[in-house]
Amino acid sequence: MISDELERRTHDLLMRAAQVYRGHPHADPRLRHTVERFTGPLRLAVAGAARTGKSTLVNALVGETVAPVGQADFVTYRDGTQPRAWRHPEHGRPYEVPVARTADGLRLGLDAAAPRAVVQWPSRVLRRTELIDTGPSLTPARILPETDAVLLLTPRIAEPDLDFLRAGRGLRGPAAYPVHALVVQSRADTHGDGLPDGLLEARRAARRRRREPLIASLCQDVVAVSPLIGHAARTLRDDEFLALAAIAALPRADADPHLLSTDRFTAAGALPVVDPRTRIELLRRFGLGGIRLALALVRTGAGTTAALGERLHEYSGLKDLQTSIAELFVARRAALKARSALIVLDHLLRTERLPASAQLLAELELLLAGAHDFTEMRLLSALRSGRVALPAETAREAQRLLGGAGTSLGERLGLPTEATVDDIWAVAEDSAERWSREAGSGERTPAQRRAAAVVLRSCEAILADGTVPAS
Amino acid sequence: MTSWEAGTTAQTVPASLIPRPRPAPDPLRGVAAGTDPWWMDTMDAVIRTCAAHGRTDLAERLARRRARLLHPQLRVLVAGTAQQGRSRLVNALINAPACGLLPDADTPVATVVHHADTPVAHLIMRDSVDADWTAAVGLQARIPLTPDRLAASLAEATATLPAGAPVHVDIGVPRSLLAGGLVLIDAPALSPEAGDQAIIAARDLADQAGADLVLYACEAGRRLSDAELTLLAGLGQIFPGLLVVLTKADYAPDWRRDLAESRIRLNQAGIPAAVAAVSSSLRQHAVRTGDEALNRESGFTDLLVHLRRMAEDKPDRLARATAGALGRLALQELAVPLRTELENQDAAGSSDAVAHLQATHRRLDDLRKCTVRWQNKLSDEVADLMSDIEHDLREGVKKLLAEADEFFTTNDPAKSWDEFEPWLSQSVQDLTQTSVSWLAERTEWMARRTAGMFPPEAGDVLPSTALAITDGSSLSDLSTLDAPPVATFTPGQKLFIGLRGSYGGVVMFGLATSLAGMSLINPISIGGGALFGGKSVRDESKTLLKRRQTEARNAVRQHVDDIFAKLNKDARDSVRQAQRALRDHFTAVTEDMQEDAMESLRNAKAAADRDAAAREAHNRRLREELARLADLHTQAQALTERARA
Repeated sequence: MISDELERRTHDLLMRAAQVYRGHPHADPRLRHTVERFTGPLRLAVAGAARTGKSTLVNALVGETVAPVGQADFVTYRDGTQPRAWRHPEHGRPYEVPVARTADGLRLGLDAAAPRAVVQWPSRVLRRTELIDTGPSLTPARILPETDAVLLLTPRIAEPDLDFLRAGRGLRGPAAYPVHALVVQSRADTHGDGLPDGLLEARRAARRRRREPLIASLCQDVVAVSPLIGHAARTLRDDEFLALAAIAALPRADADPHLLSTDRFTAAGALPVVDPRTRIELLRRFGLGGIRLALALVRTGAGTTAALGERLHEYSGLKDLQTSIAELFVARRAALKARSALIVLDHLLRTERLPASAQLLAELELLLAGAHDFTEMRLLSALRSGRVALPAETAREAQRLLGGAGTSLGERLGLPTEATVDDIWAVAEDSAERWSREAGSGERTPAQRRAAAVVLRSCEAILADGTVPAS
Repeated sequence: MTSWEAGTTAQTVPASLIPRPRPAPDPLRGVAAGTDPWWMDTMDAVIRTCAAHGRTDLAERLARRRARLLHPQLRVLVAGTAQQGRSRLVNALINAPACGLLPDADTPVATVVHHADTPVAHLIMRDSVDADWTAAVGLQARIPLTPDRLAASLAEATATLPAGAPVHVDIGVPRSLLAGGLVLIDAPALSPEAGDQAIIAARDLADQAGADLVLYACEAGRRLSDAELTLLAGLGQIFPGLLVVLTKADYAPDWRRDLAESRIRLNQAGIPAAVAAVSSSLRQHAVRTGDEALNRESGFTDLLVHLRRMAEDKPDRLARATAGALGRLALQELAVPLRTELENQDAAGSSDAVAHLQATHRRLDDLRKCTVRWQNKLSDEVADLMSDIEHDLREGVKKLLAEADEFFTTNDPAKSWDEFEPWLSQSVQDLTQTSVSWLAERTEWMARRTAGMFPPEAGDVLPSTALAITDGSSLSDLSTLDAPPVATFTPGQKLFIGLRGSYGGVVMFGLATSLAGMSLINPISIGGGALFGGKSVRDESKTLLKRRQTEARNAVRQHVDDIFAKLNKDARDSVRQAQRALRDHFTAVTEDMQEDAMESLRNAKAAADRDAAAREAHNRRLREELARLADLHTQAQALTERARA
């Protein structure tokens, strides 16, 4: 497969570079670190300014209240059999610290000033992806080399965010395509006065933004999310549902005046059906917008905790974000990891010159020139965001062939797992022929023809791949 | 939402927005307490000073602000970053959907809302980006909009315009709030991240919009960023009534904490701004339902009271505060170049003239040292020369004598004197010639060496005329040497000596032969006598030759010694002469140079004095100007303080 090929060749190159640079004072440890990273899970960093909801988003993605953990700029969450945590001081070896779970998230013992911490937490979400919660003061130059992909949180996309994205998008080599970045507009719930329609409006706005050429050239996707509501949705408790249901059961004329402002909602005499402390707790968990949304959803039929949680999950935009992460990052983790490794390798080969590095550099260039993965990922993102418009049916097929639904052969061709080699061959050849026609069709716009050419190249790769088992 | 205390540094705005009774008339202000011309005097003085300092840009800007301060309108600029609820704030204030009409556009088209008897709206096309918004525009530049369907007509109108054209919407609505001359301006979003550029852009925007007051909108639940604080500090300097409004206070769970935090941050940054929290949506809801309590909760009632009072106070307190702040700022700006100039002068210390004076001093010193040096050099050289000359002459003479001695060991002076005499005179001539030419060379060289002691800027100081050197003519009377008187060996003498010698021989041989019976005089004895006689003559002649040679040698030695003494004396005399000539020459040169140096020293001193006087005068002028600025500054400060009273 294409991704496998990229992965294998990258690994090959890494190994050879490690051999060439063995014993080199700078390059050797760095290469060993890179090889180690290359075989590990995908590292996904959550970055952004202060108070943009980074920790809340980490919690929402994990589906449990894990963050925050105290003063650390760089907290990595990874899967493990039991909760454990380590602190990494600036100098010296990491040491394990005790973990305590509180209502606000995990607390690590020994709050010494260690800039990095690693938390091991048993979670299915973290199995293939490590999440990294970064501090607001970190510059892109410190975040980007440590990660394979980045979620950039911002209330609205402004110049500093674009600078962050530009820092990640290099001028040359493997860093040229911004396939690693996803922008999250994280205050979606404040849109339109925090009324339930605001969330939808925010998502529409995000869809408009991701089609803007400037932003599209710097990231894969723009998603509007309310981390607060998303987190609340994924950790919704029965008592909270009951409290919300009790408020929703009140006549609207009684309830609505108390939903106008946070002051009114938490006022002592308001809404006697729920006691003030619960209301304050609800406000902290959901935000006013979240409460309004939840009440609207309960009134329109979300009758159980699970149903409400599900619908809140969807409305908060978290579901979209998870889909985007799954399709753009997790499914393509091989390519993303190869990309990070190649960036390191490219830099090393250029800065630490040895007689053998010119040869390796030439091979790296060759590998990149043939790396179809990054092109596929860009086209997938373009199709998702509507930057390239194809007829619905064709677009779906293109996405499938580009590996949007999975990068295995069967998934790309949409065939069941029991399909024979002949079936695969026939379908692949058929697709290649169709897309070759599309690529040359005069009815299509230039952008569509270019897209079709990319899909055609994917089909050809499938064919080339399919012949291996056949022969 | 009535928490309205301004921070401790919020000097220019009242501590509370609740109207207070007007303060008692200021005795200093005279009778005409209603209109206070004092701020205008100060402002005019500042404007004049700006113009006098060549800062016409500043003067122009101040003049514009002055004109605006005299205008009855109070123009309030609602600024802020994107999506902070600026448009909704304006809409909620006037209770009409006037701003933020184009969806998802962050108000790229600014809106000016003022009072009108009937709703009216225009899209105004300004002449240029820098044009004043308040300037009157012609009919062609006013595109009428339909007030009933404002959004649609605005979208239509802007669609026809090129992107980025300088336009704004001018809306008149019948509102009692605005009837008092209040004008609200919904400005385009600011971007504080740009640093100093952002401050300049914001000031320009406020200036062009003709703002008197700035409201800075920032949503609650968000910290004021450092860049925003810098921007606010920049705005607060020229807009004394700066007000930070936390919008969307209904939505933020902890808006009171945000309010307190913002206040603290502004205080810490030293920004004289008041902070208020409002909720536009509550206000809209309250207006819709006629809920008075909700209206109060929204925080708008206090904001309205504040704005109204600001409009009332404009000719009085706000004008004074603004004039004071602007005056101070302008004066500080004017003082900066003066102060740097003053500092530079103090730091630079010496000017060219003083440096020249010092250099001249140094040159004079050098000259003095050089005099001593060349004198020493000359005497050293002369002493050397003398000893050298004497030594050389002595060597030459010695050689001459040796050759003469050699000559007379083999030759008979009596016979070869004629041969010897020309050689001797030639040799003496040669010796003299050599010595004279060498002397001349050495003297020349000595002059050169001595001249080398002079500083290079003295130029060519070698004496132009050749030095008078004795050419050895004094030797003419000594050049010839007569042959020494020698004893000649005359034939008579020879005969006598031969006879005397032969006598012994004749007797010796006569006696010996007499034994043999021969006579005493016989041929054998005569032969013996002849033998002895011949020997005696030869011996005598040899002795005479020796004596002649010795005499000749003595004569030559005597002669050569005389010549040596003479030559030596001549040489010494010439050296002395040369020394004297050189000394005179170089003394003259030195005197000339000293004269020059003294002259230039006098000039330099005069120039330095003149320069110092000029600098002193300039310094005094600068200081006076600074003092004048400080005076004006104090006046401006007094204005601000009075506005605070």
